[in-house]
Amino acid sequence: MTIGVKKVSLERTAREQIYLPAILEGLLTTARHFFKNTFSQGMGDIDTIRYGEPEVDVKTYYPERYRGVHRLMLREDGSVRCVACMCCSTVCPAKCIYIVAEDRGDDHEKAPKSFVIDELKCVVCGLCVEACPCDAIRMDSRKHMFPTETREDAVLGKIELMKLGGPSVAVQGGVGPDYRAVAPQADPRFPGP
Amino acid sequence: MNATHSLRLLALFVLVWLGLPGCKDPRSAVVKDASIRAEPAEVVFHPETGAVAVDIVNTGERPLAVGEFKIEGPDWTAFDFVEPASATVLQPGERTTVRIAVEAAALRGPGEPMRGAVVEAEPAAEIGPDEYRDGLARLQLSAGGTPVAVPLVFEDPSWLGQYVLPALVKVLLLVMAFIMPLASLLTWMERKQSAMMQDRLGPNMARIAVGGVTLRLWGLLHIATDGLKMLFKEDFIPRRAHRALYNLAPLLAIVPALAVFAIVPFGDALCYGRSFDVLAQADVDQCAAGRGGTPLQVAQIDVGLLYYFAIASIATYGTTLAGWSSYNKWAILGSLRASAQMISYEVAIGLTIVGALLVYGTLEPHALVKAQLVTHWGILLQPIAFVLFFTAAIAETKRAPFDCPEGESEIIGYFVEYSGMRFGLFYLGEFIEVVFVSALVTTLFLGGWALPFGMLGASGFATPLMAQLIFGGAGLLIAVTGVAAWRASKHGETFGAVLILVGVVHLTFAVWSLFTGWGTELPHVVVVLVGMVTWGVKVLSLCWLQLLVRWTLPRFRYDQLMSLGWKGLLPLSIANIVLTAVVVYAMTRTSADPSADEGRKADIGVKSDAEGPGKSSGKPVAKPERGTP
Repeated sequence: MTIGVKKVSLERTAREQIYLPAILEGLLTTARHFFKNTFSQGMGDIDTIRYGEPEVDVKTYYPERYRGVHRLMLREDGSVRCVACMCCSTVCPAKCIYIVAEDRGDDHEKAPKSFVIDELKCVVCGLCVEACPCDAIRMDSRKHMFPTETREDAVLGKIELMKLGGPSVAVQGGVGPDYRAVAPQADPRFPGP
Repeated sequence: MNATHSLRLLALFVLVWLGLPGCKDPRSAVVKDASIRAEPAEVVFHPETGAVAVDIVNTGERPLAVGEFKIEGPDWTAFDFVEPASATVLQPGERTTVRIAVEAAALRGPGEPMRGAVVEAEPAAEIGPDEYRDGLARLQLSAGGTPVAVPLVFEDPSWLGQYVLPALVKVLLLVMAFIMPLASLLTWMERKQSAMMQDRLGPNMARIAVGGVTLRLWGLLHIATDGLKMLFKEDFIPRRAHRALYNLAPLLAIVPALAVFAIVPFGDALCYGRSFDVLAQADVDQCAAGRGGTPLQVAQIDVGLLYYFAIASIATYGTTLAGWSSYNKWAILGSLRASAQMISYEVAIGLTIVGALLVYGTLEPHALVKAQLVTHWGILLQPIAFVLFFTAAIAETKRAPFDCPEGESEIIGYFVEYSGMRFGLFYLGEFIEVVFVSALVTTLFLGGWALPFGMLGASGFATPLMAQLIFGGAGLLIAVTGVAAWRASKHGETFGAVLILVGVVHLTFAVWSLFTGWGTELPHVVVVLVGMVTWGVKVLSLCWLQLLVRWTLPRFRYDQLMSLGWKGLLPLSIANIVLTAVVVYAMTRTSADPSADEGRKADIGVKSDAEGPGKSSGKPVAKPERGTP
């Protein structure tokens, strides 16, 4: 394979040597930006997000699929949906999810005794959400991780995570092989067969 | 208001404007009777004053016989005609010149009380035998049978009243009301303008609460916060620094930068006693000579531009000493670069100005501006010099693209060790130099305080149309800016409202002028104010241009800088001198030839007219035509 070489003449033309045309060109460019940004309505070409200004809602600038801090979803009775299957803590590349399981007390499911996420370690990849089999953990709160004074405050437990969550419309435990027929009743947003 | 609506309004405005001259002006029914005016309307003499030319102008619409010149009044013996004034007939608009001299010796000492004079209740101040007393007489003449009197006043002003007090007032006016505010404004403009040029927001966070309303004013308050920060920062001196020189250097940087402003004229002249009268150019010229008024320039010295070179070179010591005394290798690198650069570019500056000197024939900035008004602005007669001078002057301010001495990204520069307000002085001095460069370019090349096309004379606008253009244009501009500020953000509403109000006031003047023909005869103080505002606008625009250049061009490498100075600007400025000299010589020769075209005389300027308008009285003398730059 040959590499193409583009030869550029290093000889300076008279136009370059008197500087002025190029300088004027440059001045016109910058002046155009100046006038557009100064006198046009709104902010012209300025794309700066004025984060922290009282009249600016930063969320309007968030991308559509922005995740935000985790939350744990709830069952109809208000208890946590999580069944402590350890899928999320296993798949987590940052190893920031710590779950201790306990017996839920009903027939067939476990529950987390403690469910802790170290938000300082989290890389916000969303793999835990993908791995979760029962729609228990989500990353759709669209909330920034709030600032904390100590590192310990950034470690969120089950209670904090559940406060962010709400009831899920998914059927706990799944609906089995005939989900195509059952799902539309369970979730009106489901497109149906 | 949508675009169609505004267009319709504009069309209506234009129609009314075009239609008005067609209407019959009610004033034209009144035929102005023969009238006569003396220029200056009041002649002021000082002991060292030579002969003064008084122009008698026929401002009426009929030819007029003038004659019977004589001098009357209490001190008539002290005044005399230089040559006998002869009677003549003046066509409308024509003028004749009478030259009068004062014999100061006749007014020395207390003098004798006049016979039959009423003894004043309050005796006048004691006048010694070597002092002058005030003299009063009048030039009496008959114009078409009507007697006309021109007051002749002799006074010996005190040193304090003539020089010290006006100079103090002017220094305060210039420094406190213009330079320092503008230099501080530039520190903000530099940051805000660069932000606007680079699609950033710039400083906008400093805020102040006034009566429950939080004002931000586009970050203007950062000027105050920056100043406070500088004042309260630690004033650090390196242990091995040379303390005396280290302390002296910031002063040497800022004092010359302020002192050079002494030669910059920011207006024509102010006549004390007649501020609200309509004055002719001759009256203003008399005031500019210091008789009955004062020129609007701190120091009117004949070697004005040489003074600039002398003082501006001292500023180099500031940078050099700052670098040397800091005991820091980067600082001394910066100061070495600064001295080399400033020496190189001062040569180019000096030689560039020579071209302008050849054309206008004076080193005195006030006279230089006057010469530009008679001919054309410097930027038209000396375009090459303008570009060269502007370039070299930017290099003198040590700002990008010539900021090798500072070199933010490589050596920080000669003030690397300075902190607190000492650094603030360097910083402010730099911006004062920016203002000065703008002021000097305005004086040398942009006609100083004058509006273009001779729009504004000593007595007012040249025609009502000019007044409408200026006031209408300024009003529209201000109002549109105000509307833009109003609509831009919530914070701008108050400011925008004020701007709109100011704009509407201007527009009212324009409309008033449209219907009454107002504007050709303005009070002296208004003319002076308009001139000063014009000067300020020019200076501010040039500051803006310098900031634009500073934030557009990258820094020159050191060797490129030197080769541009010595191999580029220097030969070009010498070529400019040669070219100018040849052209001036050729045109002077042509105009010396009696058969030559008279129109060229005005082009070449004051040289041929330097001896004053005419030598013999009684003959109408054509004034040099006002040039249109």
